[in-house]
Amino acid sequence: MNTLFFRYVPGNSFLHRLDPRVKITGMMIVSISIFMSSSLRQLASVALLFFLLLLFSSISPKIIFDAVRPMLLFLAVIFILQFFLMDGEPVFYIMGHDATYEGLRHGVLLILRFLFLLMFASLLTATTTPSLITAGMERMLRPLPLRKLGISSFDLATMVFLSLHFVPFLYGSFSHLRDAQISRGLDMRRNPLGAVYSLSVPMVRIAITSAEEVAVAMESRCYQGEHRSSLHILLLQKKDMAALISFSIMVLALV
Amino acid sequence: MSIEVKDVTFRYAPGTPLETTALEGISLSINKGDFVLISGAIGSGKSTLIRHLNGLLRPSSGQVTVDGIAAYGKKVKAKVGVLFQFPHQQLFGRTIFEDVAFGPRNFGLRNPELKRQVHDALEMLGLGQGICPTSPFSLSGGQKRLVAIAGVLASRPDYIVLDEPLSGLDAEHKKSLLSALQLLSSKGTSVVVVSHQVSDLLSVAQKIFLLDRGSLVFSGTPAEYAKHSPPSMPEINFLMKELRSRGFDVRDDVFGIDDAFSEITRVLGLKEAVEE
Repeated sequence: MNTLFFRYVPGNSFLHRLDPRVKITGMMIVSISIFMSSSLRQLASVALLFFLLLLFSSISPKIIFDAVRPMLLFLAVIFILQFFLMDGEPVFYIMGHDATYEGLRHGVLLILRFLFLLMFASLLTATTTPSLITAGMERMLRPLPLRKLGISSFDLATMVFLSLHFVPFLYGSFSHLRDAQISRGLDMRRNPLGAVYSLSVPMVRIAITSAEEVAVAMESRCYQGEHRSSLHILLLQKKDMAALISFSIMVLALV
Repeated sequence: MSIEVKDVTFRYAPGTPLETTALEGISLSINKGDFVLISGAIGSGKSTLIRHLNGLLRPSSGQVTVDGIAAYGKKVKAKVGVLFQFPHQQLFGRTIFEDVAFGPRNFGLRNPELKRQVHDALEMLGLGQGICPTSPFSLSGGQKRLVAIAGVLASRPDYIVLDEPLSGLDAEHKKSLLSALQLLSSKGTSVVVVSHQVSDLLSVAQKIFLLDRGSLVFSGTPAEYAKHSPPSMPEINFLMKELRSRGFDVRDDVFGIDDAFSEITRVLGLKEAVEE
């Protein structure tokens, strides 16, 4: 089974070659700006920024679409809830609820924010290997006084690494399970509630048992969460700093 | 009455750097009552091929038909029952009855036929009706696998496709599963088994399809397969060839213990003595 869901896509583009810390910081900046955007004009600027980055990444738009596609149903539900449950000037009336202009506006803004967050995140994972993301996060967290809280930057980095690995794994398991249930006559359109039950019960079991298996496998190989050397030696170069500064200026100017 | 796969090519992630050709120009046919083994190394395209048989995947080019109709939609899924790898992870019912009844109920079956078909499927695999009220999660790994297989058999499809059904089963359960599949095949249900464990299935399969990196590299009977791919033969076949090379008039297309036993006793003239 081959899934494109938040997968790394090998390449040698400008975005691929950037230091992961620059990309993670850029992601943080753009995430904050997306949540602060309150108009369609600002979100249009975010879209412009995204397509500009896509040009520098050599990533096919299909990869981004495939990462976003599984979330479309969820986004549609959020939009409908906003459209019908928000007070305001009525557009039409259906089944005891008014659909309002304010609901429409908020719904569109909200799903666009989610959509852009997913698109930027998928661009980050498509151009950066999970191990590089982990190494970047670990280096960024190292100066923080986490030891006082009883955790280390290595623990946090390992958790991020495992979480990143689990996203495509769980999506692959879900696709596998969905195929199996469809083969047994499951009709997801006609019986969505039945589908939720027949898919969620095994998915919860798979997630828990897989996490437990990974934990046991790590423990049996003497993982103790102390300082670990990294495969990647990260060196910030001039081009990385230049890229981060230019990107930050663009975000401030556009959004 | 057959599944026809005509010149099927399938690519994952087409148009992206991750594009992979999983199947290339595959053509084969599975007739009513056939017992077919599809084999090949990991990544050879076996699982991708069986996803085409009930329309879960549509070919990038080529065509798949089931009894003359294009392999898409619920009607085809009712005709072709597919069980994927790791079936024990697919269980979800509160009881084994609920889980096994999931398929036939979705295909429109209601009591008392539903109950009868669920019980028949469990009996066929040696699990018994008494297991019905039990939670499927309280079973051992092998039993969970058998319950999942019962879930496919209970719908009584015309074609049964099982992906690696023997892995994780002990010798006794393997034997009872193969006997059940042979019985179904003899009654006209086509059985397609995808497996690495060629040696376990040579004595029961009638046709073998061997895939290599997405291409069909062999299609024929077990006897023809023995000449084509000797390293993956069961030990018993090597013994029969050795006996033949030493002058004993035994058949060398024997793949199962029972067949080998009767062949050796025949040649040694011990048949009557054994029967007595």
